[in-house]
Amino acid sequence: MKGGWLRWIIPAAVVPVLVLLAYGFWTNPREIPSPLLGRPAAPFVLTTFDKAPLTLQDLRGKVVLINFWASWCIPACYDEAPALERTWLAYKDKGVMVIGVNVQDTEEPARKFLARFQHSFPNAPDPRGYVAVEYGVYGVPETFFIDRRGRVRFKHVGALTDETARKRLDSLLEEPS
Amino acid sequence: MIPELGYAATVVGFVLALYGAIAAVIGVRTGQANWLRTGERAAIGVWLLITACIALMLYAFLTFDFSVRYVAVNTNRGTPFYYRITALWGALEGSIVLWAWMLSVYTLIVVVRYRRRQPELYPWVLSVMLGILAFFLLVMSIPAPPFERLSPIPPDGRGLNPLLEDSGMITHPVALYLGFTGFSVPFAFAMAALLVGRTGDEWITITRRWTIVAWYFLSLGLLIGGWWSYHVLGWGGYWAWDPVENAAFMPWLTGTAFLHSVMIQERRRMLKLWNLTLIILTFGLTLFGTFLTRSGIIGSVHSFTQGSIGVFFLAFLALALLGAFSLLAWRTDGLRAQGELDSAVSRESVFLLNNLFLIAATFTVFFGTVFPLLSEAVRGVKVSVGAPFFNLVNIPIFLALLFLMGVGPLIAWRRASAENLKRNFLKPVLAGIVAAAVLRLFGVGNVLVLTAMALVVFVAGTIALDYGRAVRARRRSGDGWGAATWGLLLRQNRRYGGFIVHLGILVVALGVAGSQAWQIQTEVTLDKGQSVEVDGYRTRYRVRFDGLSASEESNHGKVTGTFTLTDGRGKEEVLSPGRKFYPQEQTPIAAVDYRLGIFEDVYLVLGDFARDGSQATIKLQVNRMVSWLWIGGLVLTLGAALAILPDHRKPA
Amino acid sequence: MTTQRKFVAGGLVIVAALGYLIWSGVTQSVVYFVTPSELLAAPVANKTYRLGGMVLPGSLKWEPKTLSLAFTLSDGKGQVSVRHRGAPPDLFAEGRGAVVEGSWAREGYFQASLILAKHSEEYKAPHDGADPGYKELLRTLRREPRTDEKPPR
Repeated sequence: MKGGWLRWIIPAAVVPVLVLLAYGFWTNPREIPSPLLGRPAAPFVLTTFDKAPLTLQDLRGKVVLINFWASWCIPACYDEAPALERTWLAYKDKGVMVIGVNVQDTEEPARKFLARFQHSFPNAPDPRGYVAVEYGVYGVPETFFIDRRGRVRFKHVGALTDETARKRLDSLLEEPS
Repeated sequence: MIPELGYAATVVGFVLALYGAIAAVIGVRTGQANWLRTGERAAIGVWLLITACIALMLYAFLTFDFSVRYVAVNTNRGTPFYYRITALWGALEGSIVLWAWMLSVYTLIVVVRYRRRQPELYPWVLSVMLGILAFFLLVMSIPAPPFERLSPIPPDGRGLNPLLEDSGMITHPVALYLGFTGFSVPFAFAMAALLVGRTGDEWITITRRWTIVAWYFLSLGLLIGGWWSYHVLGWGGYWAWDPVENAAFMPWLTGTAFLHSVMIQERRRMLKLWNLTLIILTFGLTLFGTFLTRSGIIGSVHSFTQGSIGVFFLAFLALALLGAFSLLAWRTDGLRAQGELDSAVSRESVFLLNNLFLIAATFTVFFGTVFPLLSEAVRGVKVSVGAPFFNLVNIPIFLALLFLMGVGPLIAWRRASAENLKRNFLKPVLAGIVAAAVLRLFGVGNVLVLTAMALVVFVAGTIALDYGRAVRARRRSGDGWGAATWGLLLRQNRRYGGFIVHLGILVVALGVAGSQAWQIQTEVTLDKGQSVEVDGYRTRYRVRFDGLSASEESNHGKVTGTFTLTDGRGKEEVLSPGRKFYPQEQTPIAAVDYRLGIFEDVYLVLGDFARDGSQATIKLQVNRMVSWLWIGGLVLTLGAALAILPDHRKPA
Repeated sequence: MTTQRKFVAGGLVIVAALGYLIWSGVTQSVVYFVTPSELLAAPVANKTYRLGGMVLPGSLKWEPKTLSLAFTLSDGKGQVSVRHRGAPPDLFAEGRGAVVEGSWAREGYFQASLILAKHSEEYKAPHDGADPGYKELLRTLRREPRTDEKPPR
């Protein structure tokens, strides 16, 4: 404590601790890597709320975004719903398909949810949760990005934002088909 | 309408707090009292505005206003009335509001108490307090707005986290936050003293009492948290070394260190720099705790939402720590010790050791908590250290602290003679050894428990010895028994308040040692009518499964098991543990049932069950001496209350 | 001055002891986070792991009477069979992610001491397709009126 510089040891000691904590923003302790990444996406056939058939295999050659949601999932599914519709409108002419899969829900609130957010992309109920199990859905919302060759490439856990969707879709669209 | 009003109140509050903080400084710099008065009025205004925020939130909760996101997330139409109120601080945004409100209350108390008494320090204290408030209001305005709209309005909310539907949730967060925010006052005084350059001893007296208040609430918060964990979470423990728990424990440790080292400063005018460091560290750790639990950088069972809030807290933490420590470094010259250490065998040195061990404990807890981060940053390996690490490292430290707790209050200042040591410690040491020997004879084989018990008896012995001596002295000078015993406690409330707190800690220590050393657990699947037996201390418990029943509550379904507990004396009692199924949760919530006892709790958790009610898997535990934790907490409360009373000693 | 030196020396001894304590504490209780394929690449017995992966459909076996639980965790590349004594937590199901803590047994399986349930505020675990257990129990109990006769001792 006598020297001129010695007194600055305490403030200086704080810096590395703060840096370490700041580093924490770049890591995610809860992340479980999905085993599906890089593997072929499980095929499925569903019937949309509008009674149209929806088959994943038919979409080969397109980049597909599959979003698992439920009407009881407040607030995350409510938060991401407008972003999904915006993404669909922005990308539907660029070779991208957006699909909503409604899991563990009942029909009436699910329809209300869709009406409220005016979703114009296909949405299908998965009443027994078969598709959700195939994709290892751990919670809602979860979003999977599938490339043109039909492989699962990214998985997003929690509410999706416009930025994340754009980033993922753009990178998949850049790849040669 | 409500959300807009609330949001407006938040933003105006932020501006007002910032303005007040600056006005107070202008007032003291220019010597114009008017500025200071506007600063005070700003403080009152901030309090009014945050109170309005709380009232508006309550209104939104009680009227099920699901257009408010926070309400929609934390209640649904089935949430019972009582929990619609506690839901206010059930999650991140609301807890920040509660925090800010308490801070504003403390600020008002500072205004009322010190505007005349401490004219020199007061403006700076006010400014720092308002500055901290401004930060919390900023958090309420940008990263964690409690009045954020949810659009479109959902037909029903999601509901409160079922684990928080417990009566402990009204007291636990309140006590904890009163403790956390309470440490802002000592911090503000420390900053004021450094800024003014008046690092004399006056401010430290004020700070000491405020620290006791904050320390007391924090202790209470920790113990109630333990009780909540014990009777709600269903794992039979009360402390898991979870990051959230560690975050609350660290400021407690440094606060405890400060409460002890401050006595050396008062007596010997030493350790001024050290005491300031401890105050800054304690305050920093309260912020760190919030940062840790709200930023999501460390995984925890109590995980809260992640978001930009972590960045705000880290930035403020950096500002507070760097600013405060730089100020400290700048003022170092005025903080030279006026006394000196005379001998290694003295009260000063025992207190120094006490501080060293408390800081060591803080460091180990901190290290273990951020270890996953450290490991990933340095080696790129995802690892963590769990409860075994914390137990292994902290047990020796806490045993050493227990020992010092016995020595510190009785050993002489400056230099203890052999005569002094013998007079004060011979009998307690013998008592401790005898106690350990007796326990050994009764079959207690665990070395750690024996050591802990011996130390507890030793410390209790020193306290009894000292108190007995003081009472006898009063009797000789002609006091009646009442005046000699009760009167003494009140007359020397600080000393004996401290002793009673020590006794409380001893009782808690016994509970910890006992419950850690002996726990009997069995997991078994029973058919209807079938029983399981476990051996308790000198008795055999038998638990019979009598059946299951199901019911629908306002916001959940519940399966309740009926079990008959019989102990060795043939006394029968029905235990009804259950499982609660909330529509918004996939995991059912255990409803534990237990029979509490002084020495043993029987603790029963219902696990899996057959859908036709014919079979149930249960976890049955016999937990020893857990009740001592709660009893110790009660003793501690009494002691802290006594110590907070105004000092009756005549100034020397 | 000698007193001061004594203090410094004493302090250093304590700090050194503490350093040793922390070091040994870390080496004894460190838990490694691994995926099944990482574990299979270099399994070390008696080391504590936290293993995260998906529960392979069709692999789950639960015997209430013996409290034995067995299943296989997979990350797509590797598969590890896991054994545990105790009831499965409710979040736990085939085709879902799970995190278990325990150690590698030399016999070639993972002995889990703990199955971790995960909690998050915003991100919700979907419900099972089936009704929660209490509803079935409610129905069962309604069909057969409750009798108040004492169960046999």
